[in-house]
Amino acid sequence: MPRYQADLRLPLNTEAPQILHIDLNSCFATVEQQARPMLRGRPLGVTNRLTKNACVVAASYEAKAEGVKVGMTFSEAKLLCPDLIMIETDPPKYHHVYKELVKIMRSYSPDIGMKSIDEGIIDFHGTRQHVNRRPLAVIGHEIKQRLRERVGGWMMCNIGVAPNRFLAKTAASLHKPDGLDIITHKNLRETLATLELTDLTGIAERNQARLNAAGIHTPLQFLDAPADVLSRKVFKSVCGDDWYKRLRGWEVDNVEFDTKTIGRQFVMDDYNASEDKVRNRLAHLCESTGLKLRYKGFCARGISLHIQYKTGDAWHGRKAFKSSFYTTSEIFRRALLLYNQHPRLGNVVMISVSCYLLEPAMTNQMSILDEVNQERRLTEAMDELNGRYGNYTVVFASSLGADKEIKQKIPFGTTRYFELLCNRA
Amino acid sequence: MDQTTLINKDVSIVAYYFRNNTRRLRCFPKRMEYDGKRVDFTETGLVHPTKQGQRMIHVFDMTDGAADYRLEFDAQALSWKLVYIADTNYAPVSSRLAPAA
Repeated sequence: MPRYQADLRLPLNTEAPQILHIDLNSCFATVEQQARPMLRGRPLGVTNRLTKNACVVAASYEAKAEGVKVGMTFSEAKLLCPDLIMIETDPPKYHHVYKELVKIMRSYSPDIGMKSIDEGIIDFHGTRQHVNRRPLAVIGHEIKQRLRERVGGWMMCNIGVAPNRFLAKTAASLHKPDGLDIITHKNLRETLATLELTDLTGIAERNQARLNAAGIHTPLQFLDAPADVLSRKVFKSVCGDDWYKRLRGWEVDNVEFDTKTIGRQFVMDDYNASEDKVRNRLAHLCESTGLKLRYKGFCARGISLHIQYKTGDAWHGRKAFKSSFYTTSEIFRRALLLYNQHPRLGNVVMISVSCYLLEPAMTNQMSILDEVNQERRLTEAMDELNGRYGNYTVVFASSLGADKEIKQKIPFGTTRYFELLCNRA
Repeated sequence: MDQTTLINKDVSIVAYYFRNNTRRLRCFPKRMEYDGKRVDFTETGLVHPTKQGQRMIHVFDMTDGAADYRLEFDAQALSWKLVYIADTNYAPVSSRLAPAA
């Protein structure tokens, strides 16, 4: 039985573009420049922690022009751009801009999706006949204008319009900053002709090498490659078929992924931390994981722990349990079971806790064990207090003081916990 | 590096309130008195709400053209707080040399 569809042949999707992709330019840096006008027009880097080894999580266009790239350490960036100004992230600001963007997007279509904190998609299918009759380019310019009005005049965004999500994102990256581009079946070939393989989202060095090995060196050759070459020779999986459809404007990326794990990690503030200090940080990570777990209404049956040592070694342990759990003390107790097994290979520099085998929490189901019920009631009371007075107002003694060191940082990719994380004490 | 001086003190603010075509009343802090000095704000950078537990705090990032200021308005206590003064080194030279109001 053939594993892949051997003769998948599709023409270019000739449907009028209905997908609009919005990408905020250098989001965190632009928002900071919006908030602090003195920083406008200056090379600015945003980092999670103001230390020389912290990496740049966002750079302004002025910094990018000097060669600063996201992911560089502060010291590397400073070498390239001596005038670089580094500031720490301020999640509530980005949360506000995110919410404003979502409000604007919702006013056009009920079918919207945020791909990350600074990227959103509006699907106009089914709304064009009665509501959004104007051309999408006009709507795109209106969105840019509304963003400036609601957030501030410094805010810019790139907009891409295309028949599918992938091409819309590609269109949004054509003219940065503040661009608006449309890709249709008519200009698809000439647009792809101006790009490199690595300009395509999802094609980095490894995929480029795979494509090169099959004689594909440009996006146009990629577009012209038959589906069976992509699926059998290049990607050796159904990913090849997906790429075949994606490049032709057919939708394959309209999928939602379930939450599989919930957790938190922390790079130690002290690389020579004592055992007690590591346990204290671990307790805080468990507290934070518990908060997220309960916020999403889940309980877990498995827990995993990942530790990196100063020596460069790493250790990973995981354990599944018969009973599910969601209280902080249960998470900490089970994390300690794993932690006590870790081979002491040196000082701990990074520790991460995550819960897996998630299922909906049955909080209304009482246990026959009184101590379990007591613990649940205690957790509920603590959550209520922390909800009223801010996260980590009441904490377990084992994690006391850790919240001053483990500051809540902005999560990349997911925006699931925004409301929870922005509730400061 | 970041040029921020933490203050965290209550300040006296004169604010203008506008009602435009949206139903919301918009607030613009116009003048601040702090430490015997008077600061006239010229531009609002960003206004965003944040929460301290159940308390709603409105954060105003303002500038007077010589520095950036972060003000917090506590919607429950109806009090203004100056959180920090920042970026004084990045102001245009002319505004830095101007005599204090």
